[in-house]
Order: sequence, then C-alpha cells, then structure tokens
Amino acid sequence: MSLSFERLQATVRATHGRPGRGYWILLSLSAALAAWGGWAYSLIVRNGLVLTGLERPGGWGNLITDFVFWVGIAHSGTLISAILFLFRAKFRTAVYRVAEMMTVFAVMTAGLYPIFHLGRPWFAYWLFPYPNERGIWVNFRSPLIWDVFAISTYFIVSTVFLLVGVAPDAAALRDGATGWRRKLYGLLAFGWRGTDEQWRHYTRAYLFFAAFATPLVVSVHSVVSWDFAVSILPGWHSTLFPPYFVAGAILSGVAMVIVILVPLRRWLHLEEIITPHHLDMLSRLVLLTSLIVTYSYSTEILTALGEPASDPERSTFLYRMTGDYAPLFWLMVTCNCVGPALLLSGKVRRSIPAIFAISLLVNVGMWLERFNIVVTSLAHDRLPFDWRVYTPTWVEWAMTFGAFGWFFFWFLVGLKVLPPVSIAEMKEDLAHAAHASGEVAHAG
Amino acid sequence: MTDPSEKALGRRTFLRIAGALGVVAGCSPKAATQKVIPFLVPPDDIVPGTPLYYRTVCRECPAGCGVTARTREGRAVKLEGNPEDPIGRGALCARGQAGIQALYAPDRFKGPMRRGADGRLAPVGWDEAEDALSKALVAAREKGPGAIRMVTRPEPGSAGAFQEAFMRAVGGAAEDRLVLDPFDPAPLRAAGEALFSRTEIPVYDLTRARSIVSFGADFLETWLSPVEYARQLAEGRGRVGEDRTRLTWVSPRLSLTGYSADGWLRARAGGELAVALGLLRWLADPANGVPGLAPEARALFPRLAALDPAELSRRAGVPWAGIERLGRELALRRPSALLGPGQSSQGPDATQLAAVIMLLNVALGNLWQTVYYGLDPQEDPPSPFAEVESLVADMAAGRVQVLLVHHADPAGTLPAALRAGEALGKVPLVVSFGDRPDPTTSRAHLVLPDHHALEAWGDVTPRLGVVNLCQPAMTPLADTRAAGQVLLEVGAKLPFPAAHFPWPDFYDYTQTRAQMYAMVALGKFPDLMAIQRDALQRGGYWSYQLPARKEMPDLLRGAAERFLSLPPSPPPEGGDLDLVVFPTVLRGDGRGADLPWRREVPDTVSSLSWIPWAELSPATARRLGVATGDRVSVTTSAGRAELQAYVYPGLRDDAVALPLGGPEALAVLPPVRDGGSGAIAFRSARAAVARAGRGKPLPILEGSPYQHGREIVRTVSAAAPALRRPDLSHLMYREPEHPTHRWGMAIDLDRCTGCQACVVACFAENNVPVMGPEAASQGRYMGWIRMERYLGDEPGGELEVNLLPMLCQQCTNAPCEPVCPVYATYHTAEGLNAQVYNRCVGTRYCSNNCPYKVRTFNWRDAQFPKPLQMQLNPDVTVRSKGVMEKCTFCVQRIRYAENQARDEGRPVRDGEIVPACAQTCPAQAIAFGDLHDPGSRVSRLAGEKRGFGALEELNTRPAITYLARVREKEEP
Repeated sequence: MSLSFERLQATVRATHGRPGRGYWILLSLSAALAAWGGWAYSLIVRNGLVLTGLERPGGWGNLITDFVFWVGIAHSGTLISAILFLFRAKFRTAVYRVAEMMTVFAVMTAGLYPIFHLGRPWFAYWLFPYPNERGIWVNFRSPLIWDVFAISTYFIVSTVFLLVGVAPDAAALRDGATGWRRKLYGLLAFGWRGTDEQWRHYTRAYLFFAAFATPLVVSVHSVVSWDFAVSILPGWHSTLFPPYFVAGAILSGVAMVIVILVPLRRWLHLEEIITPHHLDMLSRLVLLTSLIVTYSYSTEILTALGEPASDPERSTFLYRMTGDYAPLFWLMVTCNCVGPALLLSGKVRRSIPAIFAISLLVNVGMWLERFNIVVTSLAHDRLPFDWRVYTPTWVEWAMTFGAFGWFFFWFLVGLKVLPPVSIAEMKEDLAHAAHASGEVAHAG
Repeated sequence: MTDPSEKALGRRTFLRIAGALGVVAGCSPKAATQKVIPFLVPPDDIVPGTPLYYRTVCRECPAGCGVTARTREGRAVKLEGNPEDPIGRGALCARGQAGIQALYAPDRFKGPMRRGADGRLAPVGWDEAEDALSKALVAAREKGPGAIRMVTRPEPGSAGAFQEAFMRAVGGAAEDRLVLDPFDPAPLRAAGEALFSRTEIPVYDLTRARSIVSFGADFLETWLSPVEYARQLAEGRGRVGEDRTRLTWVSPRLSLTGYSADGWLRARAGGELAVALGLLRWLADPANGVPGLAPEARALFPRLAALDPAELSRRAGVPWAGIERLGRELALRRPSALLGPGQSSQGPDATQLAAVIMLLNVALGNLWQTVYYGLDPQEDPPSPFAEVESLVADMAAGRVQVLLVHHADPAGTLPAALRAGEALGKVPLVVSFGDRPDPTTSRAHLVLPDHHALEAWGDVTPRLGVVNLCQPAMTPLADTRAAGQVLLEVGAKLPFPAAHFPWPDFYDYTQTRAQMYAMVALGKFPDLMAIQRDALQRGGYWSYQLPARKEMPDLLRGAAERFLSLPPSPPPEGGDLDLVVFPTVLRGDGRGADLPWRREVPDTVSSLSWIPWAELSPATARRLGVATGDRVSVTTSAGRAELQAYVYPGLRDDAVALPLGGPEALAVLPPVRDGGSGAIAFRSARAAVARAGRGKPLPILEGSPYQHGREIVRTVSAAAPALRRPDLSHLMYREPEHPTHRWGMAIDLDRCTGCQACVVACFAENNVPVMGPEAASQGRYMGWIRMERYLGDEPGGELEVNLLPMLCQQCTNAPCEPVCPVYATYHTAEGLNAQVYNRCVGTRYCSNNCPYKVRTFNWRDAQFPKPLQMQLNPDVTVRSKGVMEKCTFCVQRIRYAENQARDEGRPVRDGEIVPACAQTCPAQAIAFGDLHDPGSRVSRLAGEKRGFGALEELNTRPAITYLARVREKEEP
C-alpha cells in the first residue's frame, strides 16, 4: 500500500512521542553502563594504567581494539548515507538516517579512546598542532597523528553532513512542535522555508558533502589501519591492511546497522518504512564484505605459511591459529566468515531473526578480529624471550562495555530528537513512485 | 581609619591581610626549611652538583673488593669498583652494587632498641643500653667460662682484632668468639692441611689457564673471589685461537657459571669425586703417556689403578669416554686450573674432593701457575663448623648468658635442622649489632645498630698484602654507633681492668693499627700522616705480589694416599631425587637477600625474581605431572619445603635443585657434615618431590627461552670464525648524520657471564623503580637492561645456552622514532635515541614498534619509600606514571664528560665516558665510545669479524655490536 505524505510525517512524528517505559529503561541502562565505564576510567586516571592488563610487550589491548571497532562501525553509516547516495541505491532512503546518526555517535565514541589509552591523558591536546611557546610541531610522520586528522575530519564532516541532511526534516517537524522542541528544530532547520532556491542549494550541498564524505570512508579507516601497517611487527606490517580494514569496517558497520534497525523498526512502528527488502539489501552488503574479509584472512595466512619455518611472520600466524588466543581466532572465523556465508541463501536473507543473529555475531567477530590483530602480534614478536600473554582486566572490560552504553545513550537521545527517517527523501521517493505508477501523491 | 561605607580595600586592611597571609605562608609545611643542601657555608671542596668520591670496601662477601662511593651533596648515591684495587680492579658484582640499598633501607634501626615486656623493640638511649649490657656482662662473667659468647661474620681487620681483645678482656677463651661464614670453604682448608700442612685457602689466578675445570664451584657467581675470576676468565677468552681458555663444568646442574662453559660434564650429585678420581687415574696412567706430569702424581698410580673405571663411571653418572676426553684436554692444555668444591658440590666427601682436585692441580703443575698458596692472610678465618654446633648446643642447654651477634645471622643462615633459632631463644640476653631486622635480630633483646659500611671506619685484609681501608662516605643517617666503639665504651664501664682500653675511640684504634702496619711494611719511620692520607685516597695499603716459586708447598709424603679410594655409595633413602642446593649471586647466603634490587633483578638461570623455586628436569616434571609454576613439595629426612616449580633442561633427571639464601633450602638440609673438615654438607640429601597444586602467576621474565630457528644470538667457531652479515648497503632514505660523535657500544658475548652486575648498576644509576612481585608476574619489570637467556633452538632440542644482554640499541634507523606522535623520542646529533620524559604522553607506540622490546612503561607512579629516595641519582629525572623510559647510554655521564672537556678546552678522550653497566662489568665485556673515532676501543671491537647486530636484518642500524661467543662443538 502506498504511504501518503501525511501518514509518513505522522509516523515519524509519532516516534518522538512521549517515551514509554521501555525507552526509559534502555536509556537508564545505557547511562549506567556508560557511568560504570567512566568510573573505571577515573581509576586509571588516578592510579595509572596499572589497573589494565597491559604489559610489555602488550602495550595495546582492549582500548585500541575498541577504538578501531568504533571507527569501523562509524564507516558503514557514511557508506549508506553518502556512497549509496552517489550510486542512487534505492533501498538506502529508509535506513540512512539511522546509519548517519550511528556514524556520528560512533565517531564520538571512537574519539574517546585515543585519550583513554594515553599514559598521561591530561596532555592529550599535545597531539594537535597548535602554536606553542616551545615552537614544536606534532610528529607528522606518526600514524597516530594521521589518526587525529582523520578522525577529526571524519567527525566534522559526518556531523555537518548529518545536520545538513536534517535541515528540511527539522523544518517539517518544527511546524508541528511546541516548546523546547520547536526551538531545537528551529535551530536545526537553519531557517528552512522550503523555497525552490533553498531546495536547489540543499541538493547541491548534500551532493557535495556526499562526494566529500565518500573518500573519507576509504581513507579514514585506511589511515587507522596504518597504525598497524606502517609498524614493523609481524602480523601488522602488511600492505593488505587498508582494503582489509575498510572492508571489515563496512562489514561491522552494516551488521551494526542491522542489529539496530531490527528492534528499532518494531519499537518505533516503522515496519512500513523500513521493510524486509531493505534488510535484505543490507544483508547482501554484509555478505559481500564478509567475502572480502575472508579473502583477506586467507591471503595473509597463506602468504605467511609459505615462509620458512623460522620466519617471525609465519610464527605469528601459526600462533594466532594454534596458540594462546586460538579459541578467539576460530570464534572470529566462525562469526565473520561462516555466519555471513549463510546469507547466500535467499531464505536466510528474508528471515529477520536469522539476519539479526548473524549480524550480532558479526559484531562480536569483528571485535575479536581487531583484538586478534592487535594483541597476538604484540604477544608474539621477534624476540621469543619477550613473548607474553595479555589478559584484559575488569577495568578494560568496563570501558569496553561502557562505550556501548555511551553510544546507545546518545543514540537513544538522538532517536527522540532527530527524525529517524529522512522525511524529505522519503517524500521524494513516494512522489517518484506515485508518478511512475500514475497515481498522484497525496499531499494532504 | 577606613570609612566603613567604603567598599574598596583600604590600605590598612590590605596590609593586615598581607601580613596574615605571610604568617600563614610561613607556617605552611611547604615554607618550612628543607635541607636540600646540608651546608649553609660548605667546605671549599663541596660544590653542589659536583660529586665527591670516597674509596672504601664492599662488605657483602668475604672477597673484599675495594669500592668507590660516589656522593652528592653529602649522601652516597652509587657504588663502583675501585680501579686501583688489586682484587676488584674497578669492577663490582651485582651483590655489591645492591649493597647501597641497605644504607637507605626503610626498616633500618634508627637507634639502639630494647625489647620490652610486650615483646616489641622500643628505642632506648645509648648510655642506658651500654649500661644494661655492661651489667649483664658482669653478671655473666660470674657464671663461669663460656657464658659470654660472640658470633660474628669474618672480620679480617681492626674490627675482628678488637673483638678478640674485648672477649679476652671479659675472660673469654678464643673459641668463645665464633666466626660464622655459612659458605666457608672449610674443605679447601682441610685439604690444604692434609696435603701440604697449609691450613689456608689457595688463591687462584685464572689468567694463564688454558683449561679450567670447575667441580661445582660457581667461581663466576659467589665462590671465593668472583669479580676477580670473571676478569681473569675474560682475559683468557680474549686470547684468540688455540690459547683461548676452555672451561668445563662438572655438576648435576648447569648453573650460571656453567653457562660460560664450553663443555658440561653432567656428573650426578656426589659423582664429582668419582670424576676427579677418574681424571687423576687417567692422567697418572703411564699407558696414556701424559707428558710433563709431576712425579708425585705418577707415584700415585699404583693406588689409583685399584679404582675400576667402570665403577667410577657409574658413580660419576658420566660415561668413561667423557672423563677420558677431559683428561686428554688437560694433558694438552697447560697450564690449567681445577677448581672446587663449591657449595653445591660440598658433600660429606668435600675434603676428599678438594684434596683430589688439588692433587690434579699438583699433577698438572698448576701450582705457581694458576694456584697459589701463601696468600691467605689467615686473619680471622671462619670457625670450624663443629664450634658452630657446640655454640648452638651450649645455647640450647642454657649455658650461654650473653650472646653478642655482629653481622651474622645464625637463625637465618644455618640449616633448620640445627635449631639455631630455638637455641637463641634460650639465651637470656642476645645483643645484636645488626642494622636491619633479620631472623636473629627478631630474637635479640638489645639492638645496638652498627654503622653501615659506608658510614664507618675500618679495614679489611682479604689477601696477604692487600689491606683495604674503609672510610665513611657520609655522616651516619641514624643514631648508630660503630660496634667497636660500643665495645670500647662498654669495656670502660666494666670492673675488669683489662677491658679499659687505652684508645679514646674506635677510630683511634684503627689508626693505631694502621700506623703499626705501615711501620712494619715500610721498615723505617716515615711521614705516617701522609702515607695514611694517600692510602685512604687510594683505597688501601697494597703490597700484593705473587709468592716466589719456591714458596709453593710440596706434597707431604704419604698424604695423598688416603684420598684415593672411592668411599662407599650412600644408601638411597629419603626420596628418589638427589637434592642439589646452589648459591646465587643475588641471594648469597641469605643475609641482605631481601633488599629490593636483590629481589627485583631476576636470576639469570630461571629469570625468576622475588621468590625461591624448585628446578626439575623436563623428564622428571613430566613424570610428576608438574608444569612450570605449579607448587611442589620437596621433602627430605630433615624437613619439607613448598615452592613453585621451574622446569629446567639444565638439570639431571635424577635431581631437584633449590637456591640457597633463604629458609626453604635450609629447611630441607639434613645435619650432615663433611668428614674431613666438619663443614655443612650442602649436598647429601635425597628428596621426594610431589605436586602440591597450582601456584600463583610466576614473577618470571622469560616468555619462550628458545630461539625457534631465528638465530638471534649468533655464535662462531674455530671452523667458522667470521660472521656473514646482511648486505644493507642499498638504502632508500638518507641516514641521519652525526657531525661530531656517534656513541656506540660493543658487547663481547664470549666474556659476558650473565652475572647481572650491569643490571643492578643500571637500577642504581638511573633511578629505575622497583615494581614488586605482582608487577613482575604481569610483565611490568622496569629494568632498562636485561639478560636474555636462550636455552637452545627448540624445546626438547639440544641444550645450548646463549646470553644476550639486551638494552636500547640506540638505532640509527630507530623504529620507535617515527611513530611517536609528540616527538618525545627523537634522534640526537650524537647518535642517541633520546627519550624526553616530560613530553611523553604515553601512547606506547614506540614500545610496540621496538623489535627489541627494550622500552619500559611506567604503569603507575614509582615508589621510593623513605629514605630510599636519598639514593636517587640527582642527575637523572625520576619518571612519573604514564611515561616511557629506556636506556640512555647514561646520557648524564656523557654530558658530564662533554662539559668537563669543554671547560678544559679539549676533546673527549676515549674511555672517559663509561656507562654504569660498562663500568661495573667484572668481565669488562661492555665497551663504550665514539664509533666515529677509528682509534677508539669500541670502533676496533665493532669492526671484528665476529661482530653482529641484534635483529640487524630489520635495518635498524643498532649502535651496539655484539661479538659472537666462540663455541666448539664437542667431539662425540
């Protein structure tokens, strides 16, 4: 059945209705989780990183895994918003707003970690190139500085992209809102009146930002992958990392979108807008990127195994598969390669519980992949005398789960404040569809 | 008078407030006077910032190496060897380097203490304490002979002489003063007496030895004079080719000394005697035609022929071919040196073993080549162990009224089976002169703390012709008094005229003795004051020379015969494994083993710190179902100890090994003695070992002790003396330029013994924090230099131990430099990789990218409990949490020398800059200097064909060149 503009607008406005009990419970849980993580971090600030499980040689662990994980989550949002926009993918419209919100909040989460993992986080601002009396720049050769630029750029661009896209929707909501909402939407609408001139500027700006954000999807995670790839550790030092990480990022991000959308469409009664067809399309993205990731694993492993027995690279890969962290490795392979392979079947793709379960496992698997890369290479480097197993402590787990709490807290807030579906574009789609089928869209 | 309606601050109000603030500021703790610099008007020679050096003596073991104490602003911060000292020659072992922590130990007694009725020690005044002691002595004297006893560490010098005088004055006999050295090499003395009528310890000089065979004597760790022997062995290793000294280690366990050996004869525990007899038999056998054998040795063959080689081989646990091979080697390589027994091989047959080893030396003509008699000063030799036991018996029987304890720890260093602690409890007054709590002091009623060696006057005569002088390097930290001074003062209070000594104080006594010595040594009556001043500046009176050949003793007729039969095999009871106990350089005999550096620095063999352990061979461990880290119980007829296990392939399958220097080994040692000398038989017991559950995570440094085919530590041999190094001549990028100096190091692995002296020296010099056992088990050890110890290539493969001292390589293409986001690490113009502590934000990327893993991170703030912080080197920053640190090549020493040179308008000389590790190395294995100077020692060494860089195929261009160990594959 076709949706009228009015129905569409009403549905979206309804999502901003009085929050039910479930919402408040979820919000409180998220806040509590975030607070627990924050408190755990405050212990680190007071006492030092001694409370983590980090040691020599394992200088990076859960915190950096989380960092890469959240940057990865962020990327698929932009992929869906920007790249699919450029490719005019039809199925994107209903889901891209949620994806964009996910991007911004995920980048906000990811951006916490470069500060959290520092030994002296009160000097984190030294990683920014600002004029100072010492006359010293940051070290531009360091991948961590590239991270700073990449993540900051990505955050700024994603946020602006989101806000630009929200402007017409905010205007739509502003007219029917009262009180603080009216003020907020008024601000977000940037004085939108819906004139032709504004629509023209809007579409151009949106296109520009889409084009600008698109290369960021590839570049930002490539830059993050260079944190590892430009080092000399066996298992890190690999030219495969940029495409491997980008594919992995899309994989984990799209899986996270699915994990969020499946319950969301039920709770916000958006089943007619976010349809099983959309989820099917997203699953195909999961399948595609999972195949790329599987190919990457195979490339690395087969290349390494071809080396002579004493080669450190070969030793590290064998360690990953058979050493102290082997169970995590095989769980990762199951979640990232075997699970998504099931999506080849149309039947599986049309079963929403199935794709939800597979996507959830993909998220676990992708977290494990970053953990596997970061931790095993450090634990098993070139001097065997210095091999040592890293085990995260409760403080690090608190921060890992606390980040989920932080992310979902902002996301839940965002759901009630920002329109979860792009009203303007949906209306556009409806109008095109009606035009194509000869109907006249009900503008009333 | 201000207008009350005025809102602005009037003048009077301002002054009132400012005055109040000033008073408050003056009262605040921060404003209180801080004694940063101890003098208001310093003496002319004290300049803040410039160190002052005092020469004194290390008292950590009887070797008596001279040390130089570096002091800053009136406090001692570092100990280094005295380069002019004939024994240490400028080097200092790990134990000696750690000795300075005892000076600043937080648990040091602050003054005299008396145990109250509640059983706790409470402070008491010196006068009151001395009165109490003198009263007790008077009362004890009336009880008859033997009521006043003293137990002391060996004090070959003024302290010992005065103690003897004091004991005589209170009516004691000579044996009422017991000299206790748990590691007394009494069997050597007994063998000397039996063979040559010389009751003395021989002095060994290994420099000329082409072949050394050690029967369980860890001469590179704790045996007799390890600093000296390490240097002598290193000299022998420096001879290229055929003349290079070969070392063979004979023991059931491959100890640290065995790591330097070219061959390991795996004799079973107690089998060393059979090996020695077998060697002597083989050498003396005319059928083997050994040339140049001493005729007295040949004359022994008829007796030796009665020994059956098959039986000897069985008792030794070694194939006869191995003994033959060793015999052939000794026959060809002259002179040689045969050493032993050490503590681990000191069993019930120790004197016989010592005698047979000495006979081997005589046979091979080693006397006056590498073995010297006549240099033992025989000043204050340790008492026979029988006297130790009779003291314990007297105490237990209540016959001792007053026991004076001087830097000895009978309760903590004697085997538990002797029940010395219990016996101490029966003595009504135990007086300790110790300065720190230990098991004996915890039973003392009166503690009269002696100065630390760095605060005291005195002298030590470790060798004939070597009188090393002790002088204070700083004023005493606490209200301590020299033990001799206390005895003087107590003597003055006694009603015995003999106890009223003519010297006003102990210093005067030492000076009088010094004067007498100088007069005797120098004949006529010269300017004593000048001579004494010179001696103090130098470190001692040295007239040390090797005796003439004719002074070497001859074998007494018929003396050797009784040592030439194999004693019957002891019945196997108490367990199925031989118990081997071994000393380590950091634990020593247990005294002072609890100092932080001695516990934090790992043992080289096991890489364990903080805890004792029980070693089992892989086969034994498998049989018992034990893995490294599991708890095991070790039970002998004497007792039981529970420790965590370390599976070690360097141990025979029929043995279990425990380190000495703690209560665990003492708990399981049965009270067996060496027949010839009466000394403790450390090796006699059989033990039963059983798994006792899982243990806590081990404070262990090693990950995998195998090289896994990576050829990290390379070796050369006579057949292949040159190493092939990777061709790194084609570079994409421009290398950094070093316009002036390029500091570098050369570390000779053929000389390095792995003694960890460099590690402790680095801790001392660079304010490296001690993190504790939990941190060690988590891999958070902070040492800047560590001993990487590889047991071989693969687990279960051939045992070939290689040591690699690993420190920051100061790479030219350092992987750590490009990845630091804030430039906290960068390449200096002189080639160092600098770490800027106050710029570091702690991302730890540098440590991740370092392939050598030499960077250590401050996971928490370091703790230096007072007054340990007084030991901190003021030239080196103390790092806060969150900051990365690593070896700097002692940049503070480099800067100091460069500044000196600039002030004097000259270039820096080669050898002027010596980092702490290089300075202390007894084997002189580390050379430091300017790689740009072609004439420098380090350039010459770096160019040797057995040089290689660690992981150099990564093109890091390390500034450290390792010189490969020379290994000879033993013929089958």
